[in-house]
Amino acid sequence: MASSAVRTSASTKAKAPVSAAGLIPGILLLAVVGYAGKFIEHFIAAYGKAHHLVLPNIEYVLWAILIGLAISNTIGIPAIFRSGVATYEFWLKAGIVLLGARFLLGDVRRLGGVSLVLIAIELALALTFMTYLGRAFQLKPKLVTLLAVGSSICGVSAIIAAQGAIDADEEDSSYAIAAILLLGAISLFLFPLIGHVLHLSDHAYGLWAGLAVDNTAEATAAGALYSDAAGKIAVLAKTCRNATIGFVVLGYAIYWASKGQAEEVKNKGAFLWRKFPKFVLGFLLISLLATVGFFTKPQLAAVGNLSRWAFLLTFAGVGLRTNLRELSKQGARPFIVGAVGEIVIALITLGLVFGADRWYHL
Amino acid sequence: MSQSSPLYRVSLDTWAVLLAFAAVLLVRFGILKNIPW
Repeated sequence: MASSAVRTSASTKAKAPVSAAGLIPGILLLAVVGYAGKFIEHFIAAYGKAHHLVLPNIEYVLWAILIGLAISNTIGIPAIFRSGVATYEFWLKAGIVLLGARFLLGDVRRLGGVSLVLIAIELALALTFMTYLGRAFQLKPKLVTLLAVGSSICGVSAIIAAQGAIDADEEDSSYAIAAILLLGAISLFLFPLIGHVLHLSDHAYGLWAGLAVDNTAEATAAGALYSDAAGKIAVLAKTCRNATIGFVVLGYAIYWASKGQAEEVKNKGAFLWRKFPKFVLGFLLISLLATVGFFTKPQLAAVGNLSRWAFLLTFAGVGLRTNLRELSKQGARPFIVGAVGEIVIALITLGLVFGADRWYHL
Repeated sequence: MSQSSPLYRVSLDTWAVLLAFAAVLLVRFGILKNIPW
């Protein structure tokens, strides 16, 4: 049973392709919702200035997500818009590649290096903890694998990558995706609050969001909700985490094949390349071009702004594709396991970030 | 366009990278100049 909860995100990949013209209404809806968020942010700032009022500065990111959530959870998304709305992941990846222009390669190496060390620790702890937790709750072993991969690496993309590699049921993956998406939606609102309560610096918070929030879109949004600088760092840390998908999925594929419950991986190099997120390479290449002076300063600003527009479409999509009622229908146990796992992973990564901040002065 | 078309064999990731690079080249060679935010 393919869940309708994940219809607008994951399973759209398996659907028959639609024509480019069929994507236009949904992309326009993303643009309208995203721009409405930007308009509200400016309107509130201008109103406060004109009337000498101190109003809270709520970023367009939150408005875009809230408008999307309101539409998706009240009137719903009409069929004509769905395929276009599902392109939010495409805009996310294009935005990440373009964001490379705002990083010099030295920064990528330094912050990416710190992130990779923390990611290695996070992965080892998270995968182990989720595996034991899933067993304690008597979830099916492959569902446990999917939840572990989803919560430790990269949310939905990692679950989809692992599903094929370990021959998991579609039902299991839809449970895991629903749990990860619901938890992602919650963390989107909780993380910035916790960050402010703990007075985390932009770098420390961005690193934490990138390490602990599962889905790339939500990690990007959670970072941007804190500050522009935090958003940049969150994307960098999350991109490093995404780069490990192939290795972890390969490890699980070999494990399940050794138990005779998945197909053997014949060409490991080709497997790794297939699962490797190509936008990571695009991000690095643009960062390299920015480092060697391929762009002038105004051009760098223009590329940075293109990245912001791509993210604006993404944030609108995050709200529009989240149907809380459908997600909550997926059953309590995978959600509880995911939630407990997320809380523990968030605490572990917060500890790691505090440690890194102390030693490396993020 | 059928599903076996080469266009559909290119992953979403790769399309995103190609689009981003096309945009970057347009900026670099002055075709896209001012991108407001």
